Amino acid sequence: MTAARQLHPVPAVALVGAVLGIGSYLVAVTRAGVTARVAGQRLGLAAITVAPLRRARRLLGQQVTTTERPDSATWVLAPAAYAGLAALALSVVPLGPGTAVADVDTGIVVFGAAEVLAVVAFYLHGWSPNSPLALAAGYRHVAAALSYALLSMFVLIAAALPAQSLGIGAIVDSQAGLWNVLRQPLGLPLLLVVALGVTASGPLDLLDGTDLAGGGGAEDSGVQRLAWEGARAVMLVAFAAGAAAVFLGGWHGPLLPGWAWMALKTAAVAGLLVVVQVQGARVSAERFVAVSWTVLLPLAFLDLLAAGVVAL
Amino acid sequence: MSSGAAADVAFVAFALVAVAAGYRVFRTDSMVRATFLLLASFLAVGAILVLLAAEYLGTALLFMMTVEMVVMALFMVMFMMNPAGLNPMAMVHQPRLAAGAGVAAGVALAGVAVVADFPDAPVAGSAGAVAALGAELLGPSMLVFESAGITLLATMVCAVVLSASRGRYGPTHDGSVAPPLDPGGDHRPTDDLVEPGGGGHGHHGSHS
Repeated sequence: MTAARQLHPVPAVALVGAVLGIGSYLVAVTRAGVTARVAGQRLGLAAITVAPLRRARRLLGQQVTTTERPDSATWVLAPAAYAGLAALALSVVPLGPGTAVADVDTGIVVFGAAEVLAVVAFYLHGWSPNSPLALAAGYRHVAAALSYALLSMFVLIAAALPAQSLGIGAIVDSQAGLWNVLRQPLGLPLLLVVALGVTASGPLDLLDGTDLAGGGGAEDSGVQRLAWEGARAVMLVAFAAGAAAVFLGGWHGPLLPGWAWMALKTAAVAGLLVVVQVQGARVSAERFVAVSWTVLLPLAFLDLLAAGVVAL
Repeated sequence: MSSGAAADVAFVAFALVAVAAGYRVFRTDSMVRATFLLLASFLAVGAILVLLAAEYLGTALLFMMTVEMVVMALFMVMFMMNPAGLNPMAMVHQPRLAAGAGVAAGVALAGVAVVADFPDAPVAGSAGAVAALGAELLGPSMLVFESAGITLLATMVCAVVLSASRGRYGPTHDGSVAPPLDPGGDHRPTDDLVEPGGGGHGHHGSHS
């Protein structure tokens, strides 16, 4: 941990807020564009860029409904915690050489902890409205989450091995010659599975799935729905930035400045995730848990084993 | 404000959160609330460990306790009579004995904190601490650490197997076969994956 890697707290908070704010808006615009294209609609750029804003304005004006005996505090706090954890995850990711809010020695562990703590937000999101469909959706997503959390741990620790450090800045430094996506080919695909789980979307859209009438969000309305949707987009941005730093070489790249490479790579990962979110069919939670433990987890272990052998 | 004073303020804040959330665990009326209040208490302790320059241990405590508490909430609600844990329910057993034991343990620990002569050796940084911890876990303590890990994992797998022995069509040790389509008859769906006959046949026959 070097002093040069730390930003002053005030610009640091502004930077994390700006990246997550702009990033989540771009994610929403991309999703609107991809959704329209998949549906065969020809929308202009202007229509796509205002679509998320229009939806946000509509939700802000909508009344907030409630249920019988909900846990109101955790209902409101779940999206706040989810977005806060995204900010925590992003704060340990260097956005350029020497530009991390806190490039701590245990950065990758903090990133993983934020990802795991999000499971609590999922649980409370499903549980707090005191509503059967919301509860069932929260429950099945938490069961899936316990399976993908292990994948994430193995994959991230494998990525830390060549750097001989748990700091994300050091992991980016270690990719100056060869990016981890090539050095550990199993890593990024497995981490993207985790990304779908952490953002509860695409094949792992088990939390707010339409098959359960909106699932955890079935009882959400107005600003509450907006908060949860926003938090999901924010988490996607933070996760994409983490994946870009850990597997795609972070700020390394020719010609352009480091932050521009980081932004491009983050956008590429986020764009890929949005396409999978829109296009991918939801898998059954039981199937995912079975595949996760019998196929993905052994692959993650293989990834870690190979990284360990190479490191020796 | 100097970083030392900021650390002191953070320590007091996290310590208060840890104690207050720990107290609330026993005053709430829902298993889920109790579980996540306990988690809040653990998270505050993890933050205090980070303040003590045990950066890795503190962060590891965060995610380990999170997974443990989520598993606890999941299984507790699944196996108990109170669906979803939103119905009010007493969270304490033997409250007088427990309160007495708690106060006695608290006084004893506080006594140790006051009376004991702690070494005054500030840690320079956390980088050395992470490496030292890794060397310890994979060096002298490896046998103990790995045996404990494998034992815990085997215990968890066995507990799940024992508690979830019920299959789709009944207890697995009785054989788990699809029920007959005609009441009292033996006409079973042919597309079912489970072979009819065997122990399961007799089990289901006894119902008809």
